[in-house]
Amino acid sequence: MIRKRLARRRFVREHRFTQDHMSQYVDGELAVEERSRVEEHVGVCPQCRRVFATLKRTMESLRGLASEPRPALSDGIIDRLRHP
Amino acid sequence: MERARAGDRTAFEELVRRHADRLYAVVRRFVADAEEAEEVTQEAFLRAWRGIGRFQGRSQFFTWLYRIGINEAKRRADRRPPLGVVSSIEERPMDDAPDWSDAPEFRAEQADLRTALENAVRSLPPDYRAPLVLRDVEGLSTSEAAEILELGEAAFKSRLHRARLAVRRALDEYFLEAAES
Repeated sequence: MIRKRLARRRFVREHRFTQDHMSQYVDGELAVEERSRVEEHVGVCPQCRRVFATLKRTMESLRGLASEPRPALSDGIIDRLRHP
Repeated sequence: MERARAGDRTAFEELVRRHADRLYAVVRRFVADAEEAEEVTQEAFLRAWRGIGRFQGRSQFFTWLYRIGINEAKRRADRRPPLGVVSSIEERPMDDAPDWSDAPEFRAEQADLRTALENAVRSLPPDYRAPLVLRDVEGLSTSEAAEILELGEAAFKSRLHRARLAVRRALDEYFLEAAES
């Protein structure tokens, strides 16, 4: 009973740690030990596995949100600089 | 840069050509339309030119310029009601959401999905949107983006993470709705 409760408490602690550090994991900003904690928990927690996979996919997709170029923008600004 | 600081307008015009498109792209994420984004971008360069003598050169020119542009864009964004796609900046993962990380919509670069993503970014509070736009959309480094926003790296990372989770959650809702329809 006590062992079960301790295991549950540990799981909750690792769950929070993983959810708080997923971004830093993907950005490569965690120390080796912290990376291992995230990996170990993601290995046993389906919810974190899903959030982690979809977070990575979200970040990849954000990179593709480039704006349309505005060809005449620089010329317009330069014109205002020359004729204030 | 040194020539521009000394008042050489031709040198400053070169800086305009180098940075205008990227500043426009950032500003566009905060204001209502392309015309307003052009207006804010133009205003940022004019202010930078007028204040170039005050630029200390301790940071890079573009971080100073972006700060001017983003502050103005955020000021305008704060005046508008939020879009409401991101219901809360607090992340509460949904137990019943599908794992859409391998959804075919991503491979097909579907327009609906792109719109959902754009709306999710746009509905973030400006203080959370800015880190995400600079880091994830524009690809600046953590230190560059934190410097532009005048945030410590820890505060920057915390906002960035919460913004990413909020956008991720908005996509949960998009895929849930898509599964139901």
